[in-house]
Amino acid sequence: MRRDERLRRLFEIIPGFFTWTTIVGLSALSVIKPLWVAVFIICFDLYWVIRVGYFTTLLLFAYRRLAVEKKIDWLKRCEDLGKTGLFDCSNIYHAILFPVYKEGPHVLTSSIQALLDSNYRKDRMIVELTIEKRGGSEVWENAKVLQEKYKAFFCDFLITAHPDDLEGEAKTKGANATWGAKVLKEYLDSKKIDYEHVIISCFDADTCAEKEYFGCLAYHYMTNPNRTRSSYQPIPVYNNNIWHARSIARVIELGSSFMQMIETMRLEKFVTFSSHSMSFKTLVDVDYWPVDMISDDSVIYWKCFLYFDGNYSVMPMYVTVSLDIATDKAIIPTIIKQYKQKRRWAWGVENFPYLMMGFMKNENIPLTKKIRRGFHLLESHYTWAVWAIIVTFIAPLPLIFGGGVFRQSMMGYNLPSVAAALFRVTVVTLFICMLISIRLLPPRPKDVKPQRRLVMFTQWLLAPILAACVGSTPAIDAQTRLMLGKYMHFQVTEKIRHGITSN
Amino acid sequence: MQKSDAIIRYIMFFFSLALYFILLPIVLSYSLGYHIDYHNFKIYKMGILSLKSAPSGASVHINGKLRQELTPVRIEELKPDTYSVEVKREGFYPWQKELAIRPNMVTRAENIILFPVLQEMGKIGDYETINFLISDNRNYIYHMTKSGLYRSNMDGTNPKKLSLYSDWPEKILGKKFSRDGGKFLYFNENNIWVVYLVSRDSVKDGELAYVEELLKIPGSIRDVFWHSGSNHIVFVVNKDISVVELGSGGKKNIVTLHKCKKSAEGLYYDENNDSLYFNDSYEGKERLYRIDLREKFFDKLMQRVKKEFDIIYEKR
Repeated sequence: MRRDERLRRLFEIIPGFFTWTTIVGLSALSVIKPLWVAVFIICFDLYWVIRVGYFTTLLLFAYRRLAVEKKIDWLKRCEDLGKTGLFDCSNIYHAILFPVYKEGPHVLTSSIQALLDSNYRKDRMIVELTIEKRGGSEVWENAKVLQEKYKAFFCDFLITAHPDDLEGEAKTKGANATWGAKVLKEYLDSKKIDYEHVIISCFDADTCAEKEYFGCLAYHYMTNPNRTRSSYQPIPVYNNNIWHARSIARVIELGSSFMQMIETMRLEKFVTFSSHSMSFKTLVDVDYWPVDMISDDSVIYWKCFLYFDGNYSVMPMYVTVSLDIATDKAIIPTIIKQYKQKRRWAWGVENFPYLMMGFMKNENIPLTKKIRRGFHLLESHYTWAVWAIIVTFIAPLPLIFGGGVFRQSMMGYNLPSVAAALFRVTVVTLFICMLISIRLLPPRPKDVKPQRRLVMFTQWLLAPILAACVGSTPAIDAQTRLMLGKYMHFQVTEKIRHGITSN
Repeated sequence: MQKSDAIIRYIMFFFSLALYFILLPIVLSYSLGYHIDYHNFKIYKMGILSLKSAPSGASVHINGKLRQELTPVRIEELKPDTYSVEVKREGFYPWQKELAIRPNMVTRAENIILFPVLQEMGKIGDYETINFLISDNRNYIYHMTKSGLYRSNMDGTNPKKLSLYSDWPEKILGKKFSRDGGKFLYFNENNIWVVYLVSRDSVKDGELAYVEELLKIPGSIRDVFWHSGSNHIVFVVNKDISVVELGSGGKKNIVTLHKCKKSAEGLYYDENNDSLYFNDSYEGKERLYRIDLREKFFDKLMQRVKKEFDIIYEKR
């Protein structure tokens, strides 16, 4: 094995090793040294409660920003800017790329309709559907129908088929998106459009951008002096099928939205996630998305970060894009679907070895920056994998295995009541989540009964149970697979909208 | 991100960080049982006293001083020492104990039962009772009175005269119900009696029970047990372990199962397995023995009877 490969394996092992060492170590110490574990649990619980409080404050700030900026007429602001350097509102093109696998026309139609409903000039919007060839001919035929239907409305409507089994590629969304971006490059070359004047938005097939999205994006792009050294991240909300999704799926996905809102306030740790936008010039410079990694949405950020020697950031945009909730008709399939989706997200831990290897090769990034970013990345995945396990499963272990002496001690006596008292504080967070989730709800469809609004409120009572059950396990699963070298394959989440199913 | 947001975020971050490091020693010291005396700047190791009583709501006195809290109570901040703890509630006898409070430990007295002060004892029945017996299902009391055998509910209500029999011995060593609940025995040093409880269908002479003096034995009866079939009685007299079959009239069918070397000690009859456990000495050493009366008990009994008859026949 070459040195690089050995090092990569080492970095692949590190997250899972830390996670399992923590879980096994704390479990073993619960028997041998229950007092130590109890002290650790009190420290961790307090840390977690304060962290939740801190995040709740950030969520409130982010929500306030979202509420304020939602009222802004971004397109007008953009037009009011006039000409800033080379740019004005009329010479910025939006390329919207939809990598498609098996998503049906009912999913894509609403996404394309959202583009039509946006207030940006349609003659400056290039829509591209990049179809996976292995998805079947039906998907290609559907794409052709959509092209015919919508071509007249946009600057152009491209469709392309990504061949299967290209050398060096894995079966990932990134490979498909890269193929589409290369086709777009040829198109732009043929039209002699400067790459710097094109902002590419790589959207999941179910992404419905809000009306102001492209105006807001153009405004930020024009006013950002480091426009090509930034990605532009909207807030993903899972609203497309929220009224018809199962409660457990809603709570989990809304939690993801809230986490993304919180991340917009933590710029130094902010990384692209799901549907996002960037300069096409940057994308070409960094040689597109990685074609052999699953977490293409975050890896593209790290790729740019390494390419620009650490001088690359993500600019939050307080506009929303709406996506589908991974749900099903029954509870168990919904849980399985959610679990697989979260595991795929947790597979973002593959960014750690990628980043570490990149750091080793890049001598221009300051060491402190390398340590800080590397630590943040590792810490976020480590915490994801252990927090629910510690809080739910390890916390009672000292009392179970600690023996009579420990149970007779003050710590043994106080541990449950102190932990319960600390977590009672987090009820405030739950209440805030309830309120914000209600404010983010789209209008109720006519076929949904009014009392369902009450369920949208009470569903949050499931949050503690869901946190305990699926809070950490997908992350442990992903890290263990990476640690053992059993690499994951890209699994497309099946989209279900009110009885219509498609992959 | 707006600059003001960034500033607020940094303030929040450092506030959270400070809050953690301020709260951590407080929460940890509380959990570990340390008490900080802010007036004298001293840290004490404390103990907890946890009291639970039935009924709850009792007042607590520690070293004679009344606490404000009522049971169940967790009294914290007690310095390690021995305390006189008293739990009181009106209408109940007080509970009092010396309890040692150890540093960083919890002293629990969580099974306190406060017994009520008796105002008046409940009288069960108006009979001149010689002795009594409670049915195994705890539904009835059988009163052995000078005017006969009565049966009543457990609270004395619904009395019913079962028999006129009143010749109860002065001293009864033991009383036992048969497993089928249809009879009970009682015995003294030399006699075993069986009381047959008659079902309503087979009442004779208007009596719902009749008493039979089963055995009169010259030796001293040590204990008597029902065989699970409810038709045999195992009894131990001096060194002999024997069994007698119930049955009206004629000579009683008695078999001596074992003759102990010395008087059988520590008798225990396992009704579920029909086994008698007892101590006996063998070659000068004490041992625990068991007689198994379960399987083919009656076959064995009959074989033995037949063998004895054969011997007598051969002798003739």
